[in-house]
Amino acid sequence: MINRRDTLLGLAGLAGALASARAQSTASGTEVVIGAIYPLSGPTAQVGADAKHAFDSALDVINNATNLDLPTAKNAGLAGLGGAKVRVVYADHQADPQKGRAEAERLITQDKVAAIVGCFHSSVSATVSATCERYGVPFVCADSSSPSLHRRNLKFFFRTAAHDEMFSEAMFNFMDALKAKGQKIGSVGLFFEDTIFGTDSSTVQRKLASERGYKLACDIKYRNSSPSLTAEVQQVKSANPDVLMPSSYTTDAILLVKTMAEMGYKPRSIMAQAAGFVEEPTLDAVGDKLNGMITRASFSVDLGDKRASAHAVNEKFKARAGRDLNDQTSRQFTALLVLADAIDRARSLDGQKIRDALAATDIPGDKTIMPWSRVKFGADGQNTFANPVLIQYVGTRFVTVYPFEVAAGAAQWPMNA
Amino acid sequence: MNSTAWLQVLASGLLMGLVYGLVAVGLSLIFGLMDVVNFAHGEFLMLAMYAAFGFFAFAHLDPVLALPLVAAVMFGVGALAYAGVVRHALRFKANAGMVQIFATFGLATMIQGAAQYLFTPDYRSIKGSWFDGRTLEVGGVFLPSAQVYAAAVSVLAFAGLYLLMTRTDFGRALEATREDKGAVALVGIDSNRVFTLGWGLGAALVGVAGAVLATFYYIHPQVGASFALIAYVTVALGGFGSVFGALAAGVIVGVVEAGTAALLPPALKALGVYLLYLVVLFVRPQGLFGKLG
Repeated sequence: MINRRDTLLGLAGLAGALASARAQSTASGTEVVIGAIYPLSGPTAQVGADAKHAFDSALDVINNATNLDLPTAKNAGLAGLGGAKVRVVYADHQADPQKGRAEAERLITQDKVAAIVGCFHSSVSATVSATCERYGVPFVCADSSSPSLHRRNLKFFFRTAAHDEMFSEAMFNFMDALKAKGQKIGSVGLFFEDTIFGTDSSTVQRKLASERGYKLACDIKYRNSSPSLTAEVQQVKSANPDVLMPSSYTTDAILLVKTMAEMGYKPRSIMAQAAGFVEEPTLDAVGDKLNGMITRASFSVDLGDKRASAHAVNEKFKARAGRDLNDQTSRQFTALLVLADAIDRARSLDGQKIRDALAATDIPGDKTIMPWSRVKFGADGQNTFANPVLIQYVGTRFVTVYPFEVAAGAAQWPMNA
Repeated sequence: MNSTAWLQVLASGLLMGLVYGLVAVGLSLIFGLMDVVNFAHGEFLMLAMYAAFGFFAFAHLDPVLALPLVAAVMFGVGALAYAGVVRHALRFKANAGMVQIFATFGLATMIQGAAQYLFTPDYRSIKGSWFDGRTLEVGGVFLPSAQVYAAAVSVLAFAGLYLLMTRTDFGRALEATREDKGAVALVGIDSNRVFTLGWGLGAALVGVAGAVLATFYYIHPQVGASFALIAYVTVALGGFGSVFGALAAGVIVGVVEAGTAALLPPALKALGVYLLYLVVLFVRPQGLFGKLG
């Protein structure tokens, strides 16, 4: 008779056999499979489409020998795994955290991915990283910026880019500096969408505003993808803050800017939490009304002058996507490169070994396309060296305005006098 | 907020409400005609907006001029949807409701997928149309020209629909088919033809809505979803099948939504609409202008 103990032992043995079979197949295999979970349909599908171009550009660098001064660029494939090529498999989360979780499970159990990158929406990165943790598969968060993500004691979570606390702090440092130079900035107005991205962003900004002595003229949480934002804009207009600080995805960003113009409201200054405000469709649709807007960023094309590889990578991306690298796509490109570099050093597809290699990552800033000083993760998986920058939309392009030492010029302030 | 701000909220709600009514009326019309809820209604709206964008981008036709063309295109789409999908779904007598839901829902998914494949998920907007960026100001209340135009078109469309329903043979045939499908067959009306035309008319109306929305709203493959939910609530509130209930309910939804957003945290702005809907459901389950049975 088979008792429970035998069954358990049998299952354990089976699991061990499967694990070693997987490890063997990876050691001899010529391919490394990485999962990418993005919105490929739904209201933010454009982000997914662009992410694909960013990852294809990164694969171009990883899988071919190039002379760019970037990790994994020198030789074709991953030298540490005998020149194994990297392949990215995509899954669609449609901005739905539950779909993201299910897709992560599918990629891990069916496609046997070595690691996962994602997921743009912070709400989805939260569920996907929790699933990765459960299976012991590393998750590299490319472009979600909620500070809560790296504060959950996850061992397999790594975020290469800055989070909203770092970004918002840069915004307030910049405003403090302007005040010291004699600008009058008394109040800020928060305007944020109602998922984890917007709410987390507002929590930080609310806290910083009170610490640094800025009055909260308005504090508006709105429903994302609403057909109309008129009543919301009416409240912002009545409050008329010195600096409007929106945290919105693309559709809402377009609608917000349009509605403000229709209601005859010109915000004195806008300091945006990137996202929808750096997306090309927003700038195409309402860019003429955003002249002088400042947004936080991880990247700006003019920063390319300071990073040798940035222009070449931008050309690779532009050939595919027909647009320049932006805040999102530059972070996606970088995340995949950092992950590939860790797998290369791990010389294995074992989740734990890749995790340890990621934890040991130390890439100097000039070996990336980002304005960061380096890529080195803290114990919580957050890259603490991802210095944020602020960029201003002038005419039809973004110019870096903060930190002052990398600024291309003085900021135009206020946006609308 | 002062009284001007409240007037602004009321005016914005009213303008948006008239558009909601116009978006919803096609749905109500089709339901009234044959008891089918068209779950692809939002996708029809999206197709109409893309049609308006297409006329603008390729033929340099302002959405105002393209309106009749968009309506005509959508009439074709609606008639085709009936003839190609719904008519066949209606043949299943067992669990007919479910079959209809799945058929139109499947149609919605297919249209959305096709739109994303063909048009890409990029957000489009029509820049430089006649009403773009113009705003009327009346005593401190701002009325965006594009929305005033949309509201005016909505009122005209409802007036036209009223004339069509009461003064033409087609309208009477439509009304008669709603009343009794079997009886109209006896007097020589081909109910299948009336249904095809009814779907065409319903889609043409949402085509008009799409053409006016395209003047001030962004366009992408999922844009229908933002409006479809409101359209379903509007139709349920006005009374399923009641054409003019849709108009009244649209205005109510628009004003209540704007008012709720001004009173409560805007993230809860749908609350007022759903609360009102719940109350109507308890007090008058057939909707404000619906008939029982």
